[in-house]
Amino acid sequence: MNRYLYDGTPEGLLSAAARIFSEERDPETVSLDERKDTLFEEGVFIGTDPASAETFFNRLRLEAPDAAYTLYYFTLAEKDGMETALLHYLAQALLHGDRVNGNLTHPAIRDIVAVSRKAQRELHRMKGLVRFEKLRDGAYLARMEPDHNILQPLAGHFSRRLRAEDWFIYDVRRRIAARWHQGKLQFGSIEQFVAPALSDEEKEVQALWQTFFRTIAIPDRKNPRLQKSNMPMKYWKYLTEKQGE
Amino acid sequence: METLDKLQILSGAARYDASCASSGSRREGPSCGTGNTSQGGICHSWSDDGRCISLLKILLSNDCIYDCAYCVNRATNPVPRASFSAREVVELTMEFYRRNYIEGLFLSSAVMQSPDHTMERMVSVVELLRTEERFGGYIHLKIIPGSSSALVQKAGLYADRISVNIELPSQESLNRLAPQKHKQAILEPMSLIGRQIQESLLERKSSRNAPRFAPAGQSTQMIVGASPESDLQILRLSEGLYRKMHLKRVYYSAFVPVNEDNRLPVLASPPLLREHRLYQADWLLRFYGFSAAEILSDDAPNLDETFDPKTSWALRHPEFFPVEINRADYGTLLRVPGIGVTSARRIVAARRFSVITPEGLKKIGVVMKRAKYFITCSGRPFEKTDRQPALLKSRLLLAGGSAPEPPRQLALPGLFA
Repeated sequence: MNRYLYDGTPEGLLSAAARIFSEERDPETVSLDERKDTLFEEGVFIGTDPASAETFFNRLRLEAPDAAYTLYYFTLAEKDGMETALLHYLAQALLHGDRVNGNLTHPAIRDIVAVSRKAQRELHRMKGLVRFEKLRDGAYLARMEPDHNILQPLAGHFSRRLRAEDWFIYDVRRRIAARWHQGKLQFGSIEQFVAPALSDEEKEVQALWQTFFRTIAIPDRKNPRLQKSNMPMKYWKYLTEKQGE
Repeated sequence: METLDKLQILSGAARYDASCASSGSRREGPSCGTGNTSQGGICHSWSDDGRCISLLKILLSNDCIYDCAYCVNRATNPVPRASFSAREVVELTMEFYRRNYIEGLFLSSAVMQSPDHTMERMVSVVELLRTEERFGGYIHLKIIPGSSSALVQKAGLYADRISVNIELPSQESLNRLAPQKHKQAILEPMSLIGRQIQESLLERKSSRNAPRFAPAGQSTQMIVGASPESDLQILRLSEGLYRKMHLKRVYYSAFVPVNEDNRLPVLASPPLLREHRLYQADWLLRFYGFSAAEILSDDAPNLDETFDPKTSWALRHPEFFPVEINRADYGTLLRVPGIGVTSARRIVAARRFSVITPEGLKKIGVVMKRAKYFITCSGRPFEKTDRQPALLKSRLLLAGGSAPEPPRQLALPGLFA
């Protein structure tokens, strides 16, 4: 079994995949890991080649769009240590095309699809759970701490939905933000976050929402377990309706 | 009265409406307006009863001229009354939507003065939202039975989903508990809406610019446990609504006693398990190819509380099993307890690559603790069972069928008086 190493970047991974597929007869017997530069590390290092990474990704998009979609969400999961599984998944994708995700009894396919789905699920969840607050200058700000790096597709969702407003979405843990301003979407990192002042009516609107949240529940059907399983407590920190609980 | 107080009264009064779906409609937002809709729907929060909050669910008014026995807003109930102005509802919707609290608006109302008067005011709210605010989010509008067809038409052009509540599953129960509501006044708008939806779909096939009529379809709701209908009667009704009127959803709402009335049953607690079983049976009707007559019969007209309806069916039909995982078609797989729509699709997809082994089956996500009694994998059974129904039942129970809850209901005071 041949061992390969790469630099840990997504482009590096695709470059490595491109080269392994062109050189190895059976890529599913090959392993790929991130180079850690430890003393006992073994394997052939493959450097990043942006051009071949792009060619490879375009080929994947053409031959197996579903797999390209799966790969995109897989990278949002920022999972380390699954490179070999991903390599085997990509080999299967090029072999079977768009049907690949149906082969769920294949261990690599199952693992990659599972991780990718988890990222998609959190993205969907955050489309509902993100809360904007109105700032003094009229723009809206949302803060969040998702497990997956979903800022980009999430901001894309809101750029189609809240077109008439100016807004920011800030990923507190990753210190990155998206900004929608005058119809343009930008991404950037934020080194020092200073919470801006809220608009005067913000607390009133929040109180209205909190009231609604309380009264819409049917007291005879109280079910905190169900509530928590649908809306895990890790998301409550930034939920307007769960402040002070 | 302050908006906050009104909101408290009018959301509290709306909470017994079960529907909160925001799915089934896909609209790009207006280019300089706010809001779009998402085909799959989006939940924005979950309230303390564990139900999803997707829409701002409120009544326009709870000031009702009707006196339905089961309803918290009935005319003779001494509760505080309030009514929103159209502008107030519009403001609330927009402020909540911009903060991403909600996916849109669910607007219902008590009957003020007359059905037409009420419906007109409700339609004017959504008209304001759509035209003045250029709101592109989801709107679910309740149709007041007895309102004119012109208003129903208008409602369907602005709303994504419209619904008429059946309230109770039979004419007799309506007569007894909601004497001012008539079956005809409920069914007429329902079939009108059904026809309009079909027409609009046809028109849109020939012209993309044809107006949409209630693109997310029509739904309804009925109260379960306030009247003596059997589950079979209820499922037959739902079946008819799905097949003949093309409804998207029928909602079942476990009766929560909010009024003292000797026409109403006395319950220790709302019949939640019964509601749950009805929803399971409803899913069997819509996604699993079952008919009401297969699920229940006149001899056993109520759903078993111990087992889910599909397991009950399987126990009654040993001749159908075992099902061979590697050969059975999709429709047959769907009938196996422990295999749902997702697992059945996955099995069919995975079989194209290789024979499915018992380990593979687990990985696919089949609930083996139920399925194992009903399937073979390449001819090999999982469990050596002699398929005696009684033994199978006890094994399934040990494997964690749901424990039966205390007997449900039901003294129906007044009914036999």
